[in-house]
Amino acid sequence: MKDGQSLIEDKLNSAKYKKVLKANFLKPATLIPILLLAFIAGCAIFAPILAPTNPYDLAIVSIMDSRLAPGEVMFNGTVAWLGTDGAGRDVLSAIIYGLRTSLIVALTSAAIALTVGIVVGLIAAFYGGKIDAFLMRIVDIQLSFPAILIALVLLALLGKGIDKVIIALAIVQWALYARTVRATAIVERRKEYIEAASTLGLNNFRIIVKHLLPNSISPLIVLATLQTAHSISIEATLSFLGVGVPITEPSLGSLISNGFDFILSGAYWITFFPGIMLLATVAAINVFGDQLRTILNPRLSK
Amino acid sequence: MQSIVVLFIMSLVVFTMINLVGDPVDMLVNPESLPDEIERVRSDFGLDQPAHIQYIKFLQGALSGDLGNSFIFGRPALALIAERFPATLELATCALIIAIVFGLPLGIYAGLNPKSLGTRIIMGGSVLGISIPTFWLGLMMIIIFSVVLGWLPVSGRGDIGSFLGWQSSAFTLDGLSHLIMPAINLALFKIAMVIRLARAGTVEVMSLDFIKFARARGLPPENLVRFHLLPNILIPIITVLAIEFGTLIAFATVTETIFAWPGLGKLVIDAIVNLDRPIVVAYLMFVVTLFLLLNLIVDIIYAALDPRVRLNGDQQ
Repeated sequence: MKDGQSLIEDKLNSAKYKKVLKANFLKPATLIPILLLAFIAGCAIFAPILAPTNPYDLAIVSIMDSRLAPGEVMFNGTVAWLGTDGAGRDVLSAIIYGLRTSLIVALTSAAIALTVGIVVGLIAAFYGGKIDAFLMRIVDIQLSFPAILIALVLLALLGKGIDKVIIALAIVQWALYARTVRATAIVERRKEYIEAASTLGLNNFRIIVKHLLPNSISPLIVLATLQTAHSISIEATLSFLGVGVPITEPSLGSLISNGFDFILSGAYWITFFPGIMLLATVAAINVFGDQLRTILNPRLSK
Repeated sequence: MQSIVVLFIMSLVVFTMINLVGDPVDMLVNPESLPDEIERVRSDFGLDQPAHIQYIKFLQGALSGDLGNSFIFGRPALALIAERFPATLELATCALIIAIVFGLPLGIYAGLNPKSLGTRIIMGGSVLGISIPTFWLGLMMIIIFSVVLGWLPVSGRGDIGSFLGWQSSAFTLDGLSHLIMPAINLALFKIAMVIRLARAGTVEVMSLDFIKFARARGLPPENLVRFHLLPNILIPIITVLAIEFGTLIAFATVTETIFAWPGLGKLVIDAIVNLDRPIVVAYLMFVVTLFLLLNLIVDIIYAALDPRVRLNGDQQ
């Protein structure tokens, strides 16, 4: 639902806007990260088909293959293009599966945090007063601590496990979303269409969901993109510290941590390749987010 | 006042939740111990009592500055933290200095020459710097500088020198060689951040009228940067960095784990793994206090540097 003025503006801008949009999406700075992200997502989704071996099938993994250098041939005849780790798992396959875990954790936690953040932000903006003050005070307090610290503490309290990492990351992120939604919603709240809706006798729930929500969430698009990159990093860091996902279902972080014990003996590939994958994923999302910001806010691009 | 409430709530939440995970006695005793031995250990640490009585005891101790003894080390948790804190402080301070020394000039350069090749490289590098996982970079640094090149030691703090009563690794050559890798590792993320802040600030300030006027007066560019640009962009940067100093101390946990740096972070990670409750609780109380102090300092700096904030405060 949009108010009249913005509808007219949309009409006037749509042709020009489409052109700008097209020009922006086709330049390499946007296209490369999009393609890279599509490739990464493809790897994660089709992991069982793409991976040369299943690194968690104990029947296949053989200790005889332990610490093979990249390119050497494994016991069962497969080539380990990126080498094998201490337990004889193919690093390439482990990365593809690890990517899956990393992305699942990041996306699920982002979805939960977004939902909670939006609900809290909208309630704070709509009702205002004491409710607003109370909710925003919690947000302020939480945002004054670094995310990694909060996540570390939560996991120290909750224990290990994928579900717990997701919960911890969701708790870490919701406050930022809540603050952002509230900032937009509080402006929208004062506009005439909300007043009109409440004059028409619509109940608060309907006004919030049907009118306030759609007009308040656009600033979240860029934020959520950049936050996802951030939470992939945090999850990897936590797993590296040994408080994240358990080693039985490793993410990219736990793979890197796994290779930590071997770097002094020169088996660099166990840490190097998962790290490159992690870096590529996070960098691609960050660059894409930056571009998205420029595209959605044309004022920034001079 | 609000700070004390936050501290209190924090202690309550942490204490309640920490009592829900694991049994520290399992970690302390030999698995083959007899049941009555286990019970003796349990009652020695006061773990046989209900949680609320443990909490009240903890609060009583906390008010007199005693946050309990570590289960593992058998010594006061606060003393252990005080012992380890200087190493972390040293690491974080060095990282902060590195971040400012490298970040500020690069950011200002990028802001002054928005179209040059150098700027593209700097900004590309800063995206990479923000994206690169700190811990992985640390491992790669170890591989390159310690394993392959053999230039720098892998772990530890090295010789500690003393200067004006302040003890630090930075005062001996050996200490410095131990310090440099962890400090750079910790600083990298912040360098990228300072670059972005400095660039954004420069672009904004350079378009203002007083800069145009200063230029019209024929002020040489280096004076323009030193006397007109720098003071104006420093306010937000100092504020952000003061807050980020706390983040550095939190992130030091990661760097300390990689380089076996004997600081706070390593202490707390070990405590989390070993379910050493008093250390975890004491660490949290310590860090929360530190953050509340930092936020207070930031508010004071802000008011001192920016007269508008002071005015607003007076009106209220």
